[in-house]
Amino acid sequence: MNPRPQLATTAVPRFFAVATAPSATPLLLVLAVSVVVGLLMVLVFRYASDQKAIGRAKDRLKANLLAVRLFQDQLPVVTRAYARILRGTGTYLRLSFTPFLIAILPVTFLIIQLDRYLGWMPISPQQNFLVEAHVADPEALSQVTLQLPPQLSASAPAVHIPHDQEVVWRLVAQSPGHYNVNIATAGQTAMKQVVVSPGLARVSPVRLQDNFWERMLISGEPPLAGNGPVQSIAVTYEPRIIRFAWLEWNWIVLFFVVSLIAGFFFKTILGIQV
Amino acid sequence: MIFSRKNRLDRIAVALLILGLVFLLPLRAEAYAGPGAGFAVLSSFWTIFVAFLYSFYALVTWPIRQLLRSFRRRKAYGKAQVRRVVIVGFDGMDPELAARFMDEGRLPNLAKLRERGTFRPLRTTFPAISPVAWSTFQTGVNPGKHNIYDFLARDLRNYLPFLSSAQISEPKRHLKIGKYSIPLGKPEIKGLRRGTPFWHWLGKAGVFCSVIRVPVTFPPEKFPGVLLSGMCVPDLKGSQGTFCFCTTRAGGEKFREGGIRIPVERNGAGFHSYIPGPDNPLGTGGELRAAFKIRPDRSLKQARVEIDSETFTLKVGEYSEWIPVKFKAGMGFTAHGICRFYLKELSPEVEIYVTPVNIDPGRPDLPISHPVTYSIYLAKLFGPYATLGLAEDTWALNEEVLDDQAFLAQCYGNHEDRERMFFDALEKTPQGLCACVFDTTDRVQHMFWRYLDDDHPAARDVPRGQRPPVIQDLYARMDALIGRVLKQIDDQTLFLVISDHGFKSFARCMNLNAWLHQNGYLVLKDGKSESGDWFEDVDWSRTRAYTMGLNGLYLNLKGREREGIVEAGTGSEALKEELRSKLNGLIDPASGSVAITGMFDCEGIYAGPYVDNAPDLIVGYGAGFRASWDSVMGQVTGKIFEDNVKAWSGDHCIDPRLVPGVLFCNRKIATEKPAIVDVAPTVLKMFGLDLPSYFDGKPWPVAVAEGK
Repeated sequence: MNPRPQLATTAVPRFFAVATAPSATPLLLVLAVSVVVGLLMVLVFRYASDQKAIGRAKDRLKANLLAVRLFQDQLPVVTRAYARILRGTGTYLRLSFTPFLIAILPVTFLIIQLDRYLGWMPISPQQNFLVEAHVADPEALSQVTLQLPPQLSASAPAVHIPHDQEVVWRLVAQSPGHYNVNIATAGQTAMKQVVVSPGLARVSPVRLQDNFWERMLISGEPPLAGNGPVQSIAVTYEPRIIRFAWLEWNWIVLFFVVSLIAGFFFKTILGIQV
Repeated sequence: MIFSRKNRLDRIAVALLILGLVFLLPLRAEAYAGPGAGFAVLSSFWTIFVAFLYSFYALVTWPIRQLLRSFRRRKAYGKAQVRRVVIVGFDGMDPELAARFMDEGRLPNLAKLRERGTFRPLRTTFPAISPVAWSTFQTGVNPGKHNIYDFLARDLRNYLPFLSSAQISEPKRHLKIGKYSIPLGKPEIKGLRRGTPFWHWLGKAGVFCSVIRVPVTFPPEKFPGVLLSGMCVPDLKGSQGTFCFCTTRAGGEKFREGGIRIPVERNGAGFHSYIPGPDNPLGTGGELRAAFKIRPDRSLKQARVEIDSETFTLKVGEYSEWIPVKFKAGMGFTAHGICRFYLKELSPEVEIYVTPVNIDPGRPDLPISHPVTYSIYLAKLFGPYATLGLAEDTWALNEEVLDDQAFLAQCYGNHEDRERMFFDALEKTPQGLCACVFDTTDRVQHMFWRYLDDDHPAARDVPRGQRPPVIQDLYARMDALIGRVLKQIDDQTLFLVISDHGFKSFARCMNLNAWLHQNGYLVLKDGKSESGDWFEDVDWSRTRAYTMGLNGLYLNLKGREREGIVEAGTGSEALKEELRSKLNGLIDPASGSVAITGMFDCEGIYAGPYVDNAPDLIVGYGAGFRASWDSVMGQVTGKIFEDNVKAWSGDHCIDPRLVPGVLFCNRKIATEKPAIVDVAPTVLKMFGLDLPSYFDGKPWPVAVAEGK
């Protein structure tokens, strides 16, 4: 197996498994990670950017905004100031581009991994959920069978959707645990993990055939056999909603807001131009 | 070359790959890449949003504002002879020198103005001192109506001086909490110059004005336009400029004026010192201080300086950029200033000169512009700049803390900042008034006249062939500035180049208080033959006359001065006549030259509501003479005359008839003897406005267009 996917799908999750203590609530985790990321990112920004140039670009922008106000009755002056504001905004974005590039990879990676924990809710015991298998060959669709561990049971007959080459099962879990469901067709078997837990757990909503970037970004399991009849197996975990400040948040939005506030705070006290 | 190009290509390739991955795989996770990018995007969005919002507001209100503006401007531009008036003021530009340098071919642009337009000496005020002359320039009236007679005025209650242009006092109300006395409100700033600057009349008529660093515009007054205050803006200590000389050398004499010596102390491998700041506003006593550290690297002849969160490297003989300095008083009170460091010596001793702490233009603790945002706008556009009225540290050169080169570097650094501001104002004022005063001309001539004067006592040890042409270079620089202005104006612009006074050598100092003492008009306390500063040992009960400041001579008038003894009326008139007859034509016995060429009775030269604040007589020193620094500061010394061996070697505080300013114009002016008081009425007339009846100046007949 290619060592890079191995690293991505095993080492990093292990790190997060340590970072996310069982008692941690999603809200506290998001807040803590946001503050740390806010601090780290402004530090990265400081060392990866031309601080003087960014300071100058921001000052020029402010000056031209003030010019619009100060010389409001001089139409040509105001027009020139608007043009300079647009040009200055371009300069500012260009100067922010290098640190943006440096920051984007680790943060994207971090977000992907956090999303496994925070993006989806594990199945609760006694909760109905769907398992969807997508096959490559329409003829294999009729041969698809599902093998369940004793803690899981089907609560409705399988539904075959020939148009989408898909079979859907409705299942119910009896007790918490990590279970494997096996889907067999055309003499081969594909496995998918189902996480049943009342708390925070790492879940993978879909298992895919070998496509590194797709698996990196949305899956959390080893790839299905590349030439196998089953192309993907998905479990319909519910998206997680976090309640904070009398609002319901998607964790990424909350992360965005809190890390921005934390970044603003740290940049001010550390005197960093962002 | 190839290697670096390859690296660059590699970096571009990696950048493109990352970007490609980010944008080709657009899942929700990578939609956000941390606070850095978040700030960048948000800030950009915010800028554009604010600009858009303001555009919308401007668009919606445009018809109404246009209507109002047309209504207001109907008076101005309806009868205006010009679209724009540009005034460049060169403080102290001398007409004789200008003519000489033009004839020598050093000033091609000014020569062009002379040929195609006008060049004349410009009569100045009595006395020929910048705050007086520029106050007359802006108000169009004599000092009796604007109340500025010198840099200093005297307090009749105690014979002590105060700044004539502005007074800054503590907030009236304080909240006492334990040892703290928390000020409730801001310091009160009171402008003492009276009269209305002519740009207020223009603004009221709808003519936009940009006014940069015209002296005596502090505190800035409200008017429809923008203004940056100039001469008389204080430093953060509230003085007119107090430099700081940090040194490991023990002792040293106290500076006569304008500076403080601060010890530099060793701290391990480095040193530490501090910059003295303003007094603690919380009333806990003492001044605030900003500590800094010095880490020398003697092998490289440089040092790292750390102050607050700023760290910078200075080489010996080099200035720092403007460095922000905070003076923290506690309880959230912080004074913000800026200063520049100059590393004078690193071995064997450590010596650092620090400029006076200027008010930070980007975060002004006192208003230095109108509107307040104008100074901030300039700071954002060009970076921090000197805001102190007398920003060129003449005292530091006089006290030999700075050498000629360091002083010139400071002057021209400030001058370049002001040029940038001026050309920005010129661009922002396509119609209306754009006026800017450059005072580099004044400071450089004050300090380098010694090299122009063949026999100046301050340069006798410098062979004539080795004297640098500092003043010639100064005029050439100003001429180049004029050349750049000429490229930016059209024939609808009236362009005036003026100065408030000229210049002469200051080779001999005269202590007029000493003369008054030796002639029985000023009496010292028994047993004293000399006095300290500000008449420390003067017996006022027997004193009939005294002098303070540069040209004013005062009678100790009964009922006016606290301990006055001279009866007003015939007594005072007789005394004045006696003094005039004795002083007028006074000969310096050492040189044989006339030290005083005119004694002017202020009753005859001033008229207006503030004549009571004027001196009784104006002393017109002859060319080559001026009041000694001791005399200016109310000190009586044993000698009346002595050589001036200080770098401050040129001056203009003499007989005003000897030091007219210059007037250049791009149009013909049919007046033989123009005066600085005429500028305001001339500009109002050019914009077609009626002249206020109280004006003392008369508008010049200006040709309709260039050459006509």
